Amino acid sequence: MKTLSIIAVLALAIILPFIADIYLIHVVSTIMIFMCLALSWDMMLRTGQLSFGTAGFFGLGAYAAIIAVDDFNVNPVMSIFVGAVFAALTSFGLGIAVLKLREMYFAITTLALTSVFTVLARNLSDLTGGAAGKILFNAIFDGDPKKTYWLILSFTIVVIVLSEIFERTRVKYAISSIRNDELVAKSSGINIFKYLLIVFVITSAIQGAAGAIYAQQYAFVEPDSTFSANFLLLPIAMALVGGIYSTIGPIVGALVLGFTSEYLKLLMPYGHLIIYGIIIVLTVIFLRKGVYGTIMEKIRSK
Amino acid sequence: MRRLFVLVSLLLTLIVLAEKPIKIGAILPLSDITGRQAANAMKLAVKEINDAGGVLGRPIELIVMDDEMKPEKGAAAVDKLATVDKVDFFVGGMSSSVHLAQIPILKKYKKITVWIGAASYKCEEAVGADSDWYFHLHPWDYLQGESYAIGWKAITEKYPQVKIEKIFLAYEEGAFGTSSFKSYQDEFELAKQGTGVWTGLMKDLKGGPFKSAALGGGDYRAMLLQAKQYDPDLFIWAGYDADAIPMLSQAKEIGFSPKLFVGAPPGWPADFGKNPLSNGVVLYGMWAPALKDVSAIAKHFWDAYVQEFNEEPATYFAPLGYTNIYFLIEAIKKAGSIDDKAVIQALREIEYESPVGGVLKISPSRIIKNQGFRAQKILQWQNGVQHVIWPFEYATANLIYPFPGWSTK
Repeated sequence: MKTLSIIAVLALAIILPFIADIYLIHVVSTIMIFMCLALSWDMMLRTGQLSFGTAGFFGLGAYAAIIAVDDFNVNPVMSIFVGAVFAALTSFGLGIAVLKLREMYFAITTLALTSVFTVLARNLSDLTGGAAGKILFNAIFDGDPKKTYWLILSFTIVVIVLSEIFERTRVKYAISSIRNDELVAKSSGINIFKYLLIVFVITSAIQGAAGAIYAQQYAFVEPDSTFSANFLLLPIAMALVGGIYSTIGPIVGALVLGFTSEYLKLLMPYGHLIIYGIIIVLTVIFLRKGVYGTIMEKIRSK
Repeated sequence: MRRLFVLVSLLLTLIVLAEKPIKIGAILPLSDITGRQAANAMKLAVKEINDAGGVLGRPIELIVMDDEMKPEKGAAAVDKLATVDKVDFFVGGMSSSVHLAQIPILKKYKKITVWIGAASYKCEEAVGADSDWYFHLHPWDYLQGESYAIGWKAITEKYPQVKIEKIFLAYEEGAFGTSSFKSYQDEFELAKQGTGVWTGLMKDLKGGPFKSAALGGGDYRAMLLQAKQYDPDLFIWAGYDADAIPMLSQAKEIGFSPKLFVGAPPGWPADFGKNPLSNGVVLYGMWAPALKDVSAIAKHFWDAYVQEFNEEPATYFAPLGYTNIYFLIEAIKKAGSIDDKAVIQALREIEYESPVGGVLKISPSRIIKNQGFRAQKILQWQNGVQHVIWPFEYATANLIYPFPGWSTK
């Protein structure tokens, strides 16, 4: 039954461009980008480490992809791999230093990294275009929304599979034990630093690839909007609303908040952001386990 | 009988077609005062036009979408207006980064777009030279810079006591401030070579960064002391509205009173004019409420806006939004249809007296063929009111020079 449901959802997702209008395709594409960010943030959180570097690595990947295409004539699709690899390598180097930190110290350091990346993007003008940013004259696939959608869908599937690998293999036991009690994990022979580094690098690569796709979709980077806090706060809100420490939670959160945000706007052009904010606050206060977690809890209690 | 039936059917079809509205899709940031007031002003223009019988015998329908100041939302709004609402024209705009994301999508539809926002030259590069359907009304950032030089030159000619040779630019260390300083540096290099619009005016330039109060800063003393020591003829700060009052307070505290104290934030704090420190501060802007005293269309707009919305227009995006609709409708009227070629031709030919202050006429800019306004205005706070100093044809007061200083404040 579960497999059938997954196949049905996947089939619907694949054929969506043939049955939906371009606006819906665009909205779903954006939701999937944020879904990937929410999943990657949650994957790091499963180790017990709260990362605020999501927007930073997103922006880094975006810049790497645009520079790769503009300055080195890299194919736009290949530039997404460039964005992911660049974010992964940067996070590997930084991870060696910052992953020794814990709790708020780690969180604040990752937040500071975003500021550092922004300042660099603003000041390395010859490479990054400085404060004005950099543009491409063509969006990926010449702006074809259907092809862009399928690209984002493929990427989302990869991220979901990665998240599930984290959930279903022995990695889960390693990172869960790190989150629950580092001392116990260490005494069980788990190489804490190695696992933290692996998760940090993989989640940063996801964020970098998401940034690269976003930049190629809209054909520009600009420091303030590319490193915007929106790429940190909204994924966190999505994971919290859906439910943390799982794959399905951030997916549900992204779908709920993504569609709510867009369709609230159509219902009430003015003031929709206030209602949207209230929905997030109320969900986080009253559904402490998120929408998915609460539903599952109710089902289990019956 | 059959003939009568055909005739009646034909007549009914014509009536239905005649009453089918011309759809205009507007994309604005509705949670920001600029977008909200621009949307209000557009609605006011549409109401006036529809009350007067519409255009080409058809009513106008305005569909407003919120871009939330987010590039992806602004881009999705273009898709929605084009494919779901099936609008005939696009208008609106504010943020450059939102517009950068919209440009690839606008290029896909190639519908006539008359845009009032996005000053970054990067947007002009992204639009490109071939986009005949694209009309940009807001001056590009480099056009604004040029217009300040033209304005100051005119002021030094009219007021011989005004001397501008040494300029100090205080800039917030973020994107807005650093890009402002960069453009001044570029202009200074050109002026040194005897080319560029600042030649003869800018003989020396110095810059000083500061952390904006809007971004957690707010202590300008070190930068102001540096400026005081430099003793500029023109002191200009490029920051945000949150910097306006503390900047003046701290300048007073250290006794820094340049001959011209100029502020160039994108917006000013509400009731800034009521603060006595504001008297004599010069600012740049596209419009000032005082224009209603010298321009009939500005007065009409002001009165109608206040009557309709029970609030005063507080940002130039309000008269610009009003202009946005009227300019397009005047072109449709002239074209006699909504055929793309005819409307594009008409947009290039018409002249529209705008409540922003000035006649709007299309001419080429560096890259695009269809640029509207080319200049900002030089304004000055005088006894709580923003007055136009330059262009002189719209001047509502004479320049107070030198800056009155702090002894009476």
